[in-house]
Amino acid sequence: MWGREIDGKTLTFRLAGINNQNFLMRDEETGSYWQQISGQAISGPMKGKQLSFIHWDELSFGLWRQESPAGTALLPVAEFKGRYAKKDWERSMAKARTVIDTKPTGIGPRELMVGIQIGNSSRAYSLTKLSSQKLIQDSLGGKSILLVLGPDSKSVRGFSAPGDFYRQDGALMMDAESGSDWNFKGCAIRGPKIGQCLTPVAVIKDYWFDWRIYHPDTSVYR
Amino acid sequence: MTSMKLKYSIYGMLFLLVVAMAVVAIPAFIIQPFRPQRTTDLQLALWLRHWGPWVASLCAMLAIALAWRSRQWQTIGLAILLIAAAALSFVNIFEIMFHPVLKPAFAAAKEAGIEDDDMVLAVNVGSEARAYPIRMLAYHHIVNDRVGGVPIVATY
Repeated sequence: MWGREIDGKTLTFRLAGINNQNFLMRDEETGSYWQQISGQAISGPMKGKQLSFIHWDELSFGLWRQESPAGTALLPVAEFKGRYAKKDWERSMAKARTVIDTKPTGIGPRELMVGIQIGNSSRAYSLTKLSSQKLIQDSLGGKSILLVLGPDSKSVRGFSAPGDFYRQDGALMMDAESGSDWNFKGCAIRGPKIGQCLTPVAVIKDYWFDWRIYHPDTSVYR
Repeated sequence: MTSMKLKYSIYGMLFLLVVAMAVVAIPAFIIQPFRPQRTTDLQLALWLRHWGPWVASLCAMLAIALAWRSRQWQTIGLAILLIAAAALSFVNIFEIMFHPVLKPAFAAAKEAGIEDDDMVLAVNVGSEARAYPIRMLAYHHIVNDRVGGVPIVATY
């Protein structure tokens, strides 16, 4: 998700092309082409410009409405309602063709990964592994990071979190230092650190082949 | 007009037609969904998409001039083909195939009709929270929006 105001201009984007199965956008105001995954203009008068990153989460709707009771959700466009992806669309996508060969990596092209980039370092975490471990602690680009599976067992969030954390029955995560209890928003809800919040780290759920194209130097959490 | 002149006009126009068709066909060939693209190919395709309409229009105008001079069915036919190629050079097939959300509308969580286990992209800007259902984004891919007064684009 990107801020679409740049150099005092508000841009309106349209889908205008496909590059290695990820799409390109064209802005109606300058006609420049942008890569949706990086937010960077690759052609046209805006070439080289970078849209500002807007932090976002991929959550289940149930979890989102608990966290944001006053929030609003996008309504379907009546004309296209019948054409939206079906409930089980991810299962059929898993079998879709890819044009990128990932065999040398030993990971299937359509395997879902959780990707993190910090500075110039990027790493991919298998969603299957995260789903079974529920909490992954790692260090990347000189930062201690924490990947957490949500209470809905579907949503994933990342935090920059110094110190050790662990999962315990009845608690999403506890820190070893104070024994405080933290929720999925990354805020302490019980214990000595109550009221404190961890800094979120952007995570992106992506197919392995796609993540690797845009992060060729990525490492994989094993 | 002599037959020699007509022949040269036809050859010239065939050449123009090849050029105009190339500026349409090359980017269409490179930017196919199920084909990998190298960075240099993509740059060429986008460059052609940018300048293609000018080149093809120029070809079409030259063709019209030649057809006007000779007034033969061959040259008139070629001029029509060139006008068609020039018109095609302005069209981006992706912008026709993929339908944007022209006027995004929103509802409170309770009225949105989304199931709890559906995934959404969620964003908070200022004091405003917004959710975009992924099943909808997987069709539209892009939503130009404004959240908390900030113009943003949600992409998937």
